[in-house]
Amino acid sequence: MTDTTVNSTICPRCGAENVRVLTTSPVPGRWTMYVCDTCIYSWRSTEPRSATDPLTYPAEFKIDPAEIPSIPAIPTVPPRRR
Amino acid sequence: MAYADLREFLETLDRNGQLLTYSEPVNPEPDLGAAARATANLTDRGPALLFDNINGYEPGKGRVALNVVGSWPNHALMLGLDKDTSVKDQFFEFAGRWDAFPGPVERRDDAPWQEVTITEGIDLFHLLPLFRLNRYDVGCYIDKAAVISRDPDDPDDFGKQNVGIYRIQVKDKDRLGIQPLAAHDLGLHLQRAEERGENLPIAIALGNEPAITTVAGMPLAYDQSEYEMAAAIQGAPYRITKAPLTGLDVPWGSEVVIEGEIIAGEREIEGPFGEFTGHYSGARRQPVVRVHRVTHRRNPIFEHLYLGMPWTEMDYTLALNTSVPLYRQLKAEFPEVAAVNAMYTQGLLGIISVKQRFGGFAKAVGMRAMTVPHGLAYCKVIIMVDEDVDPFNLAQVMWALSVHYHPLHDTVTIPNLSILALDPSSDPAGITHKVILDATTPVAPEERGHYSQVVGDPEGTADWENIIKGLLK
Repeated sequence: MTDTTVNSTICPRCGAENVRVLTTSPVPGRWTMYVCDTCIYSWRSTEPRSATDPLTYPAEFKIDPAEIPSIPAIPTVPPRRR
Repeated sequence: MAYADLREFLETLDRNGQLLTYSEPVNPEPDLGAAARATANLTDRGPALLFDNINGYEPGKGRVALNVVGSWPNHALMLGLDKDTSVKDQFFEFAGRWDAFPGPVERRDDAPWQEVTITEGIDLFHLLPLFRLNRYDVGCYIDKAAVISRDPDDPDDFGKQNVGIYRIQVKDKDRLGIQPLAAHDLGLHLQRAEERGENLPIAIALGNEPAITTVAGMPLAYDQSEYEMAAAIQGAPYRITKAPLTGLDVPWGSEVVIEGEIIAGEREIEGPFGEFTGHYSGARRQPVVRVHRVTHRRNPIFEHLYLGMPWTEMDYTLALNTSVPLYRQLKAEFPEVAAVNAMYTQGLLGIISVKQRFGGFAKAVGMRAMTVPHGLAYCKVIIMVDEDVDPFNLAQVMWALSVHYHPLHDTVTIPNLSILALDPSSDPAGITHKVILDATTPVAPEERGHYSQVVGDPEGTADWENIIKGLLK
């Protein structure tokens, strides 16, 4: 069953308050999936707290939203042909 | 031996005691990833796993297959061999079948995946029991699907049509992130599309018989068709069908065909994802796929691959399809090469057995391995052994290293070569020194050491091996 106490507002990974419901279980009421539209982290309401809670999500995997635009692009976008 | 589809292969695994169906209720996380990890931890002869009662999905409908080629018996059955075939014999069988390339393709228009079509309201999470594999993956991934694309500058060239496996982050119900590195064929197709200012149409064919999955992970030449290689490897024509939206050729037997396009010029944060190096990949800005159409069998099986700290299914699936191309490329120039075992972390470490022509010869062959196409991104550590040492038998390799290798004479370090950026030791990412450890017996003019009195097998040992093998059966 869906744990109604699961965090659904703050991204556990980047801390942005830019979270929405991604989808819900095909059998209704079993789980809800959330996604952060800032860092595209997603989690399911039935997952362990380490995946869903900003307080227990490990520091070495966190990301600062301000750094996202400067993350390297792979592959780089080539120039248009003339 | 050709399997029509994944289901026929699973039936074969079942008949051979190599499929375990688990029908007790499980959660998508952490149960499915943990079960696959556990199977890899326990044995190299493990079964495929089929889960059919996953929380949130109707029992029997949402099904996940894991570890399908995740052991040596399953790899042997993939090749149509007895499940007890040794790794070395599987290697030579695989290498021999390459001679039949290019094999024929069979075009069909009656694919089983044509049963159901979705063009509106696509939700991949409802269609497939997607789940997080490793604890700190950024989300759910598709990592064992065949991704098909064509060269936008030469769209009618069948050989340049590519079938490859790329990691795919499922970012939304109908939106994906994909990793086509510049050196990959898909990366080249995308580069050309973006130079033209066009999106790149792709098809993602999920849940396939194992031959195309094996070939899709092989370092083939750019204009070599994976379907024609799959036909050679399976020894029968390879069945393909046109995907309805893109016209791309996809496997006839797939469970699900997802069609869409990579959006030109768009890059968006993707990752981290637990990778085959045993480390997470970090995050990069990578291309994005918009999904337009899904065609699928009723109640499709989601085939997925666990990867992480070796060994996992990734290592079994890439073991021989990496070793065989290296062997074929080296042997073309040096017929003295006896076998190549490049199955450690996709060939970051490789072992080559060779008959030395003269002193220093093995070291030269080791250096050549680093300059074949796969070697440019792998082959960081190469161990050279004599032709009578089985590179697939680590006890023999360690023996050769312990008694033939002389640290002063037999270490060749080559500085600042290219390596895949995912190698966590590379610094900067993508650059590393490489090393050859020459554990062959010195030959003239390199005369050193005391190797003339080898202890051979007692007379009749080979006969006794057969007697004892028979008694053990």
